[in-house]
Amino acid sequence: MRPEVQRLTREQVGGIVKMLSLTTDREFNCGECLQHVSEFAECQLVSQPVGEVIAKVEQHLALCPECREEYEALMKILKAGQ
Amino acid sequence: MTQNEINWPAALRATDSGEQAAAVRALHDVLHTGLRIALTGRSEVSEAHLEDFAQESLLRVLDRLDQFQGRSKFTTWAQAIALNVAFTELRRKRWQDVSLDALMADGEQMTEPTMIADDALGAEEDRTRLVATLRHAIENDLTPKQRAAMLGELREMPFDQIVELLGTSRSAGYKMLHDARRALKQRLHAAGITGADIQNAFNL
Ligand SMILES: [Zn+2]
Repeated sequence: MRPEVQRLTREQVGGIVKMLSLTTDREFNCGECLQHVSEFAECQLVSQPVGEVIAKVEQHLALCPECREEYEALMKILKAGQ
Repeated sequence: MTQNEINWPAALRATDSGEQAAAVRALHDVLHTGLRIALTGRSEVSEAHLEDFAQESLLRVLDRLDQFQGRSKFTTWAQAIALNVAFTELRRKRWQDVSLDALMADGEQMTEPTMIADDALGAEEDRTRLVATLRHAIENDLTPKQRAAMLGELREMPFDQIVELLGTSRSAGYKMLHDARRALKQRLHAAGITGADIQNAFNL
């Protein structure tokens, strides 16, 4: 077995498993997420349910730590402006 | 006029150069203020960085004005772009010295303290089988680039850095990773491991 596969830690295997459990056939990529994240964030701010398209933002955020980091920063700005 | 009352796209495209310049200045201030709120407390971000990020994101927003579809407030949409500009740059700086070799294999900095041993994950038979199947699939079903991208993700390497090292674009890189996840999922499925098994085994 390749060393990099051999050396996977317990946390990393858990990370892969979590990724797989969230994987769907049709997903937003980071660019599509960025295009729609403002709408998602505004819905979250007022606890409004999201539609089917915007639900894909939530799914992408669960899988992508970078878009999630940016989304959390956006929420911080929106909350400061309330 | 308050921020919410401004028709931003119209003002930013105004033919009256005075009106247009005022809108650009106002948008700069909105982005700068937002970035300050978002990045406060980060020691690596100076006032000069904040100004650079605000300038760069202003240009990015003006460049993408046609993509604004009015489904959120304009300022929220613009802030999201500004944060993308700022965080992409901060991540790039943090990871600029990491090489593809380190991503792929034996680099010392990648050495993990705990080796994975199947029994370390618990005695449950299904978990052991799941881990063995998964490792086999990562080893045999993924292309070298897919494997490198996935290992990079697990090591919390920024995605921009991964795609740069792999010599691909961000959207192609995302597709590569998405295909890899689907391939692994299919392999688990073919081995008779269901979503419920996975959730039980890992308490998801
Ligand atoms: Zn993303």
